[in-house]
Amino acid sequence: MTGRESNRIKDAEKKRVLDVAARQRRARKALEALEQDNFHDDPHADLVMSKKLPKFQDGPNGKEKKTKRKGAEYFRAKYRKNFQQLLEEDKQRPNYESASAPPPQKPLRHFCAVCGNFSLYSCTACGTRYCRVRCLKTHQDTRCLKWTA
Amino acid sequence: MANAVVVLDNGAHTAKVGLANQDEPQVVPNCIMKAKSERRRAFVGNQIDECRDTSSLFYILAFQRGYLLNWDTQKTVWDYIFSKEGIGCTLDDRNIVITEPQMNFQSVQEAMLEMLFEEYRVGGMYKTTAADLAAFNYVADSEERTTMQTLNCIIIDVGYSFTHIVPFVLGRRVLEGIRRIDMGGKALTNHLKELISYRQLNVMDESHVVNQIKEDVCFVAEDFKEAMRVHQSEEKRREVALDYVLPDFTTVKRGYVRVPGQPREDEDQQQSVPLCNERFTVPELLFNPSDIGVQQVGIPEAVADCLKACPWEAHRELLLNILIVGGSAQFPGFLPRLKRDLRALVPCDLEVSLICPEDPVRYAWYGGKEVATSPNFDEFVYTREDYEEYGAHGLSQR
Repeated sequence: MTGRESNRIKDAEKKRVLDVAARQRRARKALEALEQDNFHDDPHADLVMSKKLPKFQDGPNGKEKKTKRKGAEYFRAKYRKNFQQLLEEDKQRPNYESASAPPPQKPLRHFCAVCGNFSLYSCTACGTRYCRVRCLKTHQDTRCLKWTA
Repeated sequence: MANAVVVLDNGAHTAKVGLANQDEPQVVPNCIMKAKSERRRAFVGNQIDECRDTSSLFYILAFQRGYLLNWDTQKTVWDYIFSKEGIGCTLDDRNIVITEPQMNFQSVQEAMLEMLFEEYRVGGMYKTTAADLAAFNYVADSEERTTMQTLNCIIIDVGYSFTHIVPFVLGRRVLEGIRRIDMGGKALTNHLKELISYRQLNVMDESHVVNQIKEDVCFVAEDFKEAMRVHQSEEKRREVALDYVLPDFTTVKRGYVRVPGQPREDEDQQQSVPLCNERFTVPELLFNPSDIGVQQVGIPEAVADCLKACPWEAHRELLLNILIVGGSAQFPGFLPRLKRDLRALVPCDLEVSLICPEDPVRYAWYGGKEVATSPNFDEFVYTREDYEEYGAHGLSQR
């Protein structure tokens, strides 16, 4: 070959394309984000409580109560199973899993990730939907492959 | 009876609580909140009203994925509720009506029993679900002579963590017919947060504010395709698009929709977000969760699917008595849309009739009040003697 090669093909080879697994991982992460209670960290995390200060919870007869009742610590220790463990334990039917609504039969609708319009096209690199060239441009500038996990 | 029964509809987002002899329950946020501006304390339940700057509010919730898993958080909130600040009385030797989610896990049920009897020393408890209480209230409300034993109805509970479709045939839940859609108020708020943060300005830390935006501006489109014309038609766009002025917690305490031509004081200096298709594409997820990749059908199809699990003799009455409760049922346009979609899915000789009570949030609580004041309430109660005899395993039904 004498150096005559297609620029288009050369560019395409450089371009990184996410495989199916990576795309699924992204989609799963997006769904998990919908379950989050908070996006940011605890604003009081860096506070150091001074032990000398009296806490408002302890009344004058705080000690007496503690011996009578077991307190939150006890419950946290005894019932500390997380959601996944509870799910695995639950064998009785019908249960959480069997109650889940069935998967949709209708064809999926697709929406432009940038503006929200119905979308006909998807990004060749990451599979995100877009509706027009302008939105694709925005997508490539902002989100495409930026947080590749 | 000396001590009035406590009714607690313990939701994942808000707890509806009050004595059965009161007219109205209190709606208490069922969480602990921390504010960036107030570094000395955390806010439990309604204490948040004392907080002047609720920007970047940090939530600690007792519920995870709709189930009560963080018991220390729940105990803190309950301690607050059953104190002078809350309903003003303790649970000692009182009976309590308390709700749990559908298909609650065995160990969570046990934990609740142990907590109530050992920690709060209740006299007795009646554990039920919000759907059961709503059904009970529905019977009490109806003018016709329906009794709980003859009731056929479907309760759609659109909650914070998920949505449940619960059919009742002859007054009993049809467990096989219960359907769950993993879409509720929390997912909608988080989705709206994500959309605004990407398209306009970063509000990822502002769950509290975005939740208010959702409540203020979102609606369910009766015809989704028609509503999506906002992208083509200027006229349609003018109808839907609006500006939402964000709170700055000094002059503006709560965000509001800007009224064109009538600016409030200093309004041009406030930050605002333009909203358009977000207003209806967000609640649309209740009808089509697959729009964001949740592999489940929406509410109308789930109702049709739930019917399949019920005896066919009951179908006619089930469709005539569909009751919608829960906070997310309050989106304007929810009822007509659901009716329209459902109409297309069920046999055309069966009439479809939906009822959404005026107050879908407190509706189940009113049902609990009815239960607690009904003459045969004592038969339902799991008493302290029962607990001491049979322990936490004595009361284990779904």
